[in-house]
Amino acid sequence: MRILHVEDDEDIRAVTEIALVQLSGFQLCSCDSGAMALSLAQAFQPDLMLLDVMMPQMDGLQTLAALRRLPGLAAVPAVFMTARLQDAEKQQYLNAGAIAVLEKPFDPLTLGQQLQQYLSRPAADS
Amino acid sequence: MQAPITPANEAQRLQALQALKLLDTAAEPRFDRLTRLVQQCLDCPIVLISLIDEQRQWFKSRQGLEACETPRDISFCGHAILTDQLFEISDARLDPSFADNPLVTAAPFIRFYAGAPLTINQQRIGTLCLIAPEPRQLTPQQRQNLRDFADAVEQEIIDRLQEQAEQELKASRDQYQALVNNIPGITYRCQADPNWTMLYISGSIDPLSGYPASDFIQNKLRSYASVIYPPDRERLEQAVAQAIAQRHSWTLQYRVQHRDGSLRWVEERGQAEYDDTGQVRYLDGFILDINAEKQLKQQLLNLTAHLPGVVYQYQQWPDGRAAFPYASAALKRIYGVTPEQVKADATPVFAAIHEEDLAGLASSIEHSRQQLLEWRHEYRVKDLNGKVAWMAGNATPEAMPDGSVLWHGYIQDITASKQSFLALQQANQQLQLARERLDTASELALIGFWQASLKTGELWWSPAIFQIFGFDEANTTPSVALFKSTLHPDDRQKVALSEQQALISGIHDVSHRIIRPDGSIRWVHERARIVTDADNQERIMVGSVQDITERVQLQQLKDEFIATVSHELRTPLTVIKGALSLVNSGQLGVLPAASQKLLVAAQQNSERLAHLINDLLDMEKLVAGKMPFLRQPLQVQAQLAQAVHELEPFAAQYQVQLEVTPVESGLQLWADSLRLQQTLANLLSNAIKFSKPNSRVQLRAKPLAEHIRIEVEDNGLGIPEAFQARIFERFAQADTEQRRQKGGTGLGLAICKALIEQMGGEIGFQSAAGQGTLFYFTLPAVNADK
Repeated sequence: MRILHVEDDEDIRAVTEIALVQLSGFQLCSCDSGAMALSLAQAFQPDLMLLDVMMPQMDGLQTLAALRRLPGLAAVPAVFMTARLQDAEKQQYLNAGAIAVLEKPFDPLTLGQQLQQYLSRPAADS
Repeated sequence: MQAPITPANEAQRLQALQALKLLDTAAEPRFDRLTRLVQQCLDCPIVLISLIDEQRQWFKSRQGLEACETPRDISFCGHAILTDQLFEISDARLDPSFADNPLVTAAPFIRFYAGAPLTINQQRIGTLCLIAPEPRQLTPQQRQNLRDFADAVEQEIIDRLQEQAEQELKASRDQYQALVNNIPGITYRCQADPNWTMLYISGSIDPLSGYPASDFIQNKLRSYASVIYPPDRERLEQAVAQAIAQRHSWTLQYRVQHRDGSLRWVEERGQAEYDDTGQVRYLDGFILDINAEKQLKQQLLNLTAHLPGVVYQYQQWPDGRAAFPYASAALKRIYGVTPEQVKADATPVFAAIHEEDLAGLASSIEHSRQQLLEWRHEYRVKDLNGKVAWMAGNATPEAMPDGSVLWHGYIQDITASKQSFLALQQANQQLQLARERLDTASELALIGFWQASLKTGELWWSPAIFQIFGFDEANTTPSVALFKSTLHPDDRQKVALSEQQALISGIHDVSHRIIRPDGSIRWVHERARIVTDADNQERIMVGSVQDITERVQLQQLKDEFIATVSHELRTPLTVIKGALSLVNSGQLGVLPAASQKLLVAAQQNSERLAHLINDLLDMEKLVAGKMPFLRQPLQVQAQLAQAVHELEPFAAQYQVQLEVTPVESGLQLWADSLRLQQTLANLLSNAIKFSKPNSRVQLRAKPLAEHIRIEVEDNGLGIPEAFQARIFERFAQADTEQRRQKGGTGLGLAICKALIEQMGGEIGFQSAAGQGTLFYFTLPAVNADK
């Protein structure tokens, strides 16, 4: 499975990389900003996009909207990851086209399983 | 034709005629009798008594002629009055002065005329005349007869005048008599002797004494002295004797004994007449029956004796003199002087008045005197011991003919009411002070008060409201419409809803935005309740408005801060917790045992930190009332099963068994599933943590009348008694050692309590140290019928 990860915090990127690459055996494209994601996404052709919400310059919502406009990325499922989960915000992220919202701190031991679960269930159910 | 000339003494002649009051009066037999006699005796068809005034001859008596007057300038009589002689025309047609006279040329076709002048008071006022339509000549005898008849007419005129005068005299005498009889008093003239020998006494002595006036004249049947009530006689005689000696008049009151034995009060004013030698000739006097007045006075006295104040008359003369002609007995009580002491001089009364109030009192009296307006004044009076009393007086002034002013009034001791008034005034001042303080406080806190009538829609605002709403107080009239116009469009419905609720619950409580006239937006918090006005039973709403803009802004800032903090805390925590989790999983390689032990402890504490952050945020939301609840019917069985399923791994760690007692199928409760699960997880994890290994934790549900009761029971250590009272408090934990061992944030039960209460239930526990604990909570049941 190919995962495009957008996260401005380098340490979180490191933990995520171990969890997804080393433990789950996924292929990961790790980006430190929305801009970087936009430049790499098309070539990477991800199966799922994992986005942090609070980022400088382009936040997660803006990044997702921009990625979706790229050829071949319009239908790729997206999952948000946030430390700031208010109920109203969760609904807002789902409305923006995410299939799930993950809360930080997350459990790196089960992250791969969770993403796999999201992909295998019907899109409407979040 | 020649008109008669006017006599030289015409003015006097006319005056004499007018004085007779004969002109234009009705016919009288005394004159008609004579003219008829003349007609017979002298055998003449027309006989007239003709009176000549300025313009005409008018006939007082006439025989044989219809007309009652003819113009003077064509009259024959006008000529006849010019001399004392008989004026005779034998044939008018032959006389150039009369030939063309219309009375000759036309009816009555006068040919013969003979007129004897009538002379009264040396003035020829008219004639007795004969007229015939054929020529004729009187014999000397006939002329003498005519003259005699004229004299008889003159005599009748004079007699008539005298009779008339007599009648007038009689009429005026009758009138005078009537007047005298109607005078209420009795006038008399008597000799200065002990008997009061009457020379004259008017008839009205009769109703007073029961004896006619004639009885008293010259002591014919009785003396006046005999009707004076004996006990008063000596006093009367002494006073009169003294007045006579001093040549004064006297005014005395005494009683007269009526024939029927009753006593009548009279007032007599009299004076003596002296002769040239200074001897008394007689006494003249006037006796007035004052019995009715006296009775009224007595009634008044009785009446005023019972009044708490003084009824009085106060009179002030232009020269500054003043007196109390009348004052009721209570005067003594108020001013310490008797009515008699101030009857002639008011000074003693003023001596009793408090020196500080004297000037004000004098000027109020002066004002009343000048304007003749009712006098009203409150002032103090000091008694001999210096004790001060408050008086209130009011009196109506009346201007008297002698230039003085007479007040009729009433003075009342108002000390008691004045004192309570002063106390009230003081209380009012304090109240005013308190109000001002409240005003100041409410201004500083930007709290305004308002009151609205539900009936009329009238609205009253305290000054702070104008300030909060940004209105100029002087130019703004508060109204419900004005208030509504300030509402932020997005909050209108919210406010209307709260108002509707207030009509039912009586309480209005809402925070909303307003838009000020300058466009700025402010947050206000309104609280009000509906009360019934004690005065008119009207329902009114009284409320307060506080400007909470800063508080709201602060709240928003806090929300923002918490959100930021939680993000800033969670990001590093994600890394720490994630890294430790990965390392401790052993999948990245095996660590030395000592390192492994430390890293496990680090991981457990990072998990506690994560819980703490979540609990803190939950608690914050609950306290702020911002925790959203999505309440819906939930299957109890399914909810319990889910909770057990979630906690099973945790229970396994502690070697504790979770048991669910089967629940009646179809049992539903009304709650937010997320928050119900949160509560169950909290209670279950607590029970697990405090259970001994290999023990059981039981989960049960029981239907109550309108609620479902859920119980979590363990066989653990129980809750120490000392801790039981604080168990639902925030950050309450039995001891720090326990916290270290069992983990937990100290917020769990406080959050559970808040969650359950917000969902309409109750939470509690039963516990005894060493015997385990049972936690329970209730939630509203979904009625199966619905």
